[in-house]
Amino acid sequence: MEEIAGNELAIEKRDQAVLELADFDEVVRVYRPRILRFLLSSLTDRDAAETLTQECFLKAWNARAQFRGDSSLATWLTRIAVNLMRDHLRSRSLRFWHKTRGDSLDVMDISDWIPDGRSSPEDIALARQRVAELWKAVDDLSAHQRSVFVLRFVEEMELDEIAETLKMNLSTVKSHLYRALAVLRDRMGGKQ
Amino acid sequence: MKFRKEVNAEPQGDSSREMRELAEAMSLYRSAMHHVAQKHAAAAWVSPERLAAESRKHARAHRMRLFLVPALGAGLAAAVIAPVALHVHHERAAVAVVAQPAPAQIVASVDDTELMNQIDSDLTQDVPDALAPLDDLSQQGSTNQSTENTNAHQK
Repeated sequence: MEEIAGNELAIEKRDQAVLELADFDEVVRVYRPRILRFLLSSLTDRDAAETLTQECFLKAWNARAQFRGDSSLATWLTRIAVNLMRDHLRSRSLRFWHKTRGDSLDVMDISDWIPDGRSSPEDIALARQRVAELWKAVDDLSAHQRSVFVLRFVEEMELDEIAETLKMNLSTVKSHLYRALAVLRDRMGGKQ
Repeated sequence: MKFRKEVNAEPQGDSSREMRELAEAMSLYRSAMHHVAQKHAAAAWVSPERLAAESRKHARAHRMRLFLVPALGAGLAAAVIAPVALHVHHERAAVAVVAQPAPAQIVASVDDTELMNQIDSDLTQDVPDALAPLDDLSQQGSTNQSTENTNAHQK
């Protein structure tokens, strides 16, 4: 009985995802900031992130007929973005751009914006400093570690969802996340 | 592993403070990234539908270029190389004509040699072949004259 209910739920979710894809403008409106955020956090290159976001939705548009709703729309789009990012990092020219960081996102862009209204200027300065330090530390992570970290702590995805998106074992995802946190903790602790 | 060992090695208070600070920093980082992405998401955007149409047009133009460039190249090569090759061929043929003696002249020179040989052989003869019938006539004439002379004497 439970199995039948589970299957029905899965079919319903699948149909919903397929239906959601039918209105592509809405899909872009909802998921574009998310994909851009993931690429921006992973690449720290504004131009590349914007280009790849555009390309991600173009690929999704071209492949929309093949989408069967086996995964959520967010997972499907993020997987496309991850593949594009890997291709981008693999290509020689992009490696060059990655190295030179011609249009890299300025750490000040990030740290200048502090969400909650902190009372004292000291608190604001301290919060900015922490964000800047974390930004630099994330930049030093390996590509896999950074992807897992961003998907978990920026996109707030579940670990099994991350595993599905990155096509990794759950244990591999946990291992990358564990190492990433160790590196970040080490860097953040070392600065103080 | 290293992470766990470090955590165990440090006093509990420091570790939890560090973790709290890291968690706070990650929370700030997440909020900042959301804000920055939202800000950049407002930038110029081309709808995928239009982009796909443009992309198809571009691919078609690229295919056409792939076909047209070699075709034009081949046409241009044919237009330039063929007349040049033809011209060169003609020039070589003309040079060959100038360099080689004319067959008629060869025939003439052979004929001259034969003619000279023939003349030479004719001259070495007492009576040339061409004058042989006249020789007969002169002999015949001299015979008649001697006969007439004999008759006259007899008369």
